[in-house]
Amino acid sequence: MNLIPWKSKQRSENGGEPGSLLALRHEMDRLFDAFVREPFGMLDVPWWPQGKWMPAVDVAESENEVTVRAELPGMDPKDLDVQLVGNQLVLAGEKKDRSEQHGENFFHSETRFGCFRRSFTLPEGIDSEQVQADYANGVLTLRMKKIKPTPTKKIEVQVK
Amino acid sequence: MSTENTTKNPTETPAIEHTRNGLCFRPNVDIRERDEELLVLADVPGAASDSIDVNFEDGMLTIHAKVAPRQEHDHRYLVREYGVGDFYRTFRVSEAVDAGKISAEYADGVLMLHLPKAEAVKPRKIEVSAK
Repeated sequence: MNLIPWKSKQRSENGGEPGSLLALRHEMDRLFDAFVREPFGMLDVPWWPQGKWMPAVDVAESENEVTVRAELPGMDPKDLDVQLVGNQLVLAGEKKDRSEQHGENFFHSETRFGCFRRSFTLPEGIDSEQVQADYANGVLTLRMKKIKPTPTKKIEVQVK
Repeated sequence: MSTENTTKNPTETPAIEHTRNGLCFRPNVDIRERDEELLVLADVPGAASDSIDVNFEDGMLTIHAKVAPRQEHDHRYLVREYGVGDFYRTFRVSEAVDAGKISAEYADGVLMLHLPKAEAVKPRKIEVSAK
């Protein structure tokens, strides 16, 4: 993208392709990219206010643990609220608008901010005492150990 | 350089050849203007600070943030809302930016690029001398 608009120059450098067509093509590329990356974020559901932020999350299960990861770039970990009640996980927080902190001129904006709250039903059998939460490079990772299932004991049926 | 809100230009630079392996995403970017500089904020969650390349060549500024895979293959995914891959995006920088003084910092998944304005386009107060 161009940091400084310079219409006449773009046209010649793009081999004469009409600017509007090129813009349309790039808009399609951008939408496709956004869809591949965050299909859920593209949903335009009526109860979800436009422009609201909904971080993308993945929840994975292995034999011994459940892992939850959320992409939360630019957040202060102090503004994150993670709660586990039984097997219900609630991720909530607030991402502050970066522009408010400086009073700069808006130029171009694609990122979202504000409050979010998401809840997930996790698989049964999570040991709530063994939950580890880390925030690094804008990614929140929760690792939850599963309670070890008691070994199955085979009971012999005596024939009398 | 205009300071109006309508300066957003939808025309992207032509797509760069895609020879890299795996998934590659275009990071979401905010651009803000200060008196002295343009500020580019790119969301590159999951990238370590030493795996981000910022290059400036022939008037093109390129961000390439390598992201190590973190979605285990042996796990069963119950929810999977995003893909993991590198972030890549290019910008054309005009002469209004002092390219030699571009600097970058990184924190919490956000890459911040400072693009200082060239002297010629900085706001300047002109003294009116009375005769």
